[in-house]
Amino acid sequence: MATTAEAGPKVTPDMRAELSAEQVGHLRHFENLLAQPPNDWSLMQGKGMGQDDFGGYRFQLAYLTYALALTHAHRLPAAPGVFKPMFERAIEKMLLPEVWIYWKDTSRGGAVFNQHLSDTYREEYDPVARDNIMYSAYVQSMALLFNYLFDDDRYARPGALSFNFYTPFWGGPPKRFEYDQNTLNEHIYWLMVENGYLGVACEPNCVYQICNQPAILGFRMHDLVTGGAVADEVTRAYERAWADFGRLDENGHYNMMMFQDSKAITPNRGSWPWVDAWCGALMNMWNRDLVRANYPGQLANLVDRADDGTVSVRPGEPFLLAGNPVVGDACDHGWVSVWAAEMGDTETLRGLLAHADRYMGPRWRDGGLYYPRNDQRADADGHRTEMEPMSGNVLLAYARLNVEDGFWKLYNQPWGPGHHTEPALTSVAADLDVTRAYYDPERRELVFTLVGRADRAGDGAVLLAHLDRAGDGWALWLDDRVVARGRRGGEVAAEGDGVDVRRTGDGVRLVGPAGGPHRYTLRFDGEMAEEMAEEMAEEVAE
Amino acid sequence: MSPVNPALRPVPGSPVGARFDLVDHHGERVDNATYRGHHVLVFFGFTHCAMVCPRALGKLSAALDDLGPAAEEFRALYVTVDPERDTPEVMKAFLERSYPRFTGLTGTAKEIDAAKGEFRVFARRTEDPDGLEPYVVPHSAITYVLDRSGAFRTHFTEALEADEVAARLTAVLDAEAR
Repeated sequence: MATTAEAGPKVTPDMRAELSAEQVGHLRHFENLLAQPPNDWSLMQGKGMGQDDFGGYRFQLAYLTYALALTHAHRLPAAPGVFKPMFERAIEKMLLPEVWIYWKDTSRGGAVFNQHLSDTYREEYDPVARDNIMYSAYVQSMALLFNYLFDDDRYARPGALSFNFYTPFWGGPPKRFEYDQNTLNEHIYWLMVENGYLGVACEPNCVYQICNQPAILGFRMHDLVTGGAVADEVTRAYERAWADFGRLDENGHYNMMMFQDSKAITPNRGSWPWVDAWCGALMNMWNRDLVRANYPGQLANLVDRADDGTVSVRPGEPFLLAGNPVVGDACDHGWVSVWAAEMGDTETLRGLLAHADRYMGPRWRDGGLYYPRNDQRADADGHRTEMEPMSGNVLLAYARLNVEDGFWKLYNQPWGPGHHTEPALTSVAADLDVTRAYYDPERRELVFTLVGRADRAGDGAVLLAHLDRAGDGWALWLDDRVVARGRRGGEVAAEGDGVDVRRTGDGVRLVGPAGGPHRYTLRFDGEMAEEMAEEMAEEVAE
Repeated sequence: MSPVNPALRPVPGSPVGARFDLVDHHGERVDNATYRGHHVLVFFGFTHCAMVCPRALGKLSAALDDLGPAAEEFRALYVTVDPERDTPEVMKAFLERSYPRFTGLTGTAKEIDAAKGEFRVFARRTEDPDGLEPYVVPHSAITYVLDRSGAFRTHFTEALEADEVAARLTAVLDAEAR
């Protein structure tokens, strides 16, 4: 499956639209969770224990980060200052031992279905050394997304992705496992090769289709950063390898996993909605035809549509292993919402979100919007009410923030080389929301909307960078009036009350009036800097 | 692990150890040191392979043909993942008949497993879906390039066409010349 690598439109209707109050609320909730001190996992604790299930912190941090990436790429491409700090904090949290230390026990492979292999597995502290793609691929893809989105290779430095563990009471001496985005990417690639491109295992001996998709995203981001073609190689080989087994089961649902030793396939025998939804939402990035062809039939068996337009997800069968119930967070409503969003199935997505808003108790807290955990499966009238932290913190937000084919576009329509030198908001004060931010190269306009937050302390400033490259001079419009002007490399001056602009580097620091929304347009005139003109010409040629 | 020449340490940080200690299709013991002074192409497969090996060996042979005299800078090795059937004699007959640029390498099951581990090769014995052979051994189709010291340099996959392979090999020589 060759990557399309086509140029997407520079400005889309999703970029021109303002973020809704709910979308802003979700971003604020992400920020709230990420601002919690280390090992404060408030609101993130699910039903499962020991970070063993699909509601674990690693999944919440990873998909929160993916949602940030999609929102930045497709809605606010000129606002890296909104997203970059959150990305950094998410990666920092992802490296905390609380997130990954489960692996020292899981690595021993003590599952009932692996008893015949128990002598071959040993305790492993290094969380990315073998298997555990359900963690390693997220670290890899998050770091590489960061490099791609922010043109910052800080995680490429030796040891930048290090896993440190020490407790004085068990586990022996301090442990440190050093990687960076390149060594981790290469390591995962070779693990993939060793297993014939079928994928790397999660728990020992268990290769999930779903959990290998983030690794493919990571390979693609690495290719975009380095100019390689590993993602093409891996996806072609993955398709060929799985052709022997079938990607779908006899009922048309995605096969869930394969046992590495016997190559026996485990279908989605519990009719679990999350299997199709999670797999489809991710795999759409490189295998859109397959995903789209199967989506309607798969979805039809998984949802119920009410007369009022709300849509709910039918629960799958209880997960039993050797007769024992497995307690964990399935996140069906969240995953199906994410899937519908990626498919651009607006009617279903609206119905799912309407159901969540009506029956799943949305709550605003510290300015952020989320759906609190609720272990009760349904209310007295039979409406499904169960809500897991993974869905309530992350997945419903992700669904609301993504656009049709969001992952596909991220993968196939990368930004051109000039993107990172275009005018942009590279720093945003804590007391501001940004609800729109794009640069239109044809009109030579940086368009953005700022809304002040009374509930947060801050200096109300944004840094508008890369202005000198884009033209000889500019005028900043606030709604229908000019409020400031500037010349390349020269003075900047405010023209009106309530606006303060000061030159800083190749841009300006802007403080506007409180409240809002305030809709700004920064229009350039004169000649573009030669460098930028060349980069734009390259993009057009491509 | 099979004993390997301890002087041939993997390149620090290299994802592929690339060490081997096997028997060539003339019955001689060989390891990385045997081919010192030449770049080495290494491809793993088995002589009963119906599709992947003939395609890869043919493509690699064509790429070496394209290089002209520069092909002398390379030695091409075909390492079996099926030591039970691929004796030195079987490999010699197979390669000399159709792919004379290649030298076949085999060994005990333990030695082959060690080499597979070093090169991180995937291979698994399974039933032949076509029922033509008692068994088949589907395997990864990666060509490894070792440098003149016997250390792993680069690799490429079966997705490349012969002219692209030739270009990659030329690039290896060019990089060395710089």
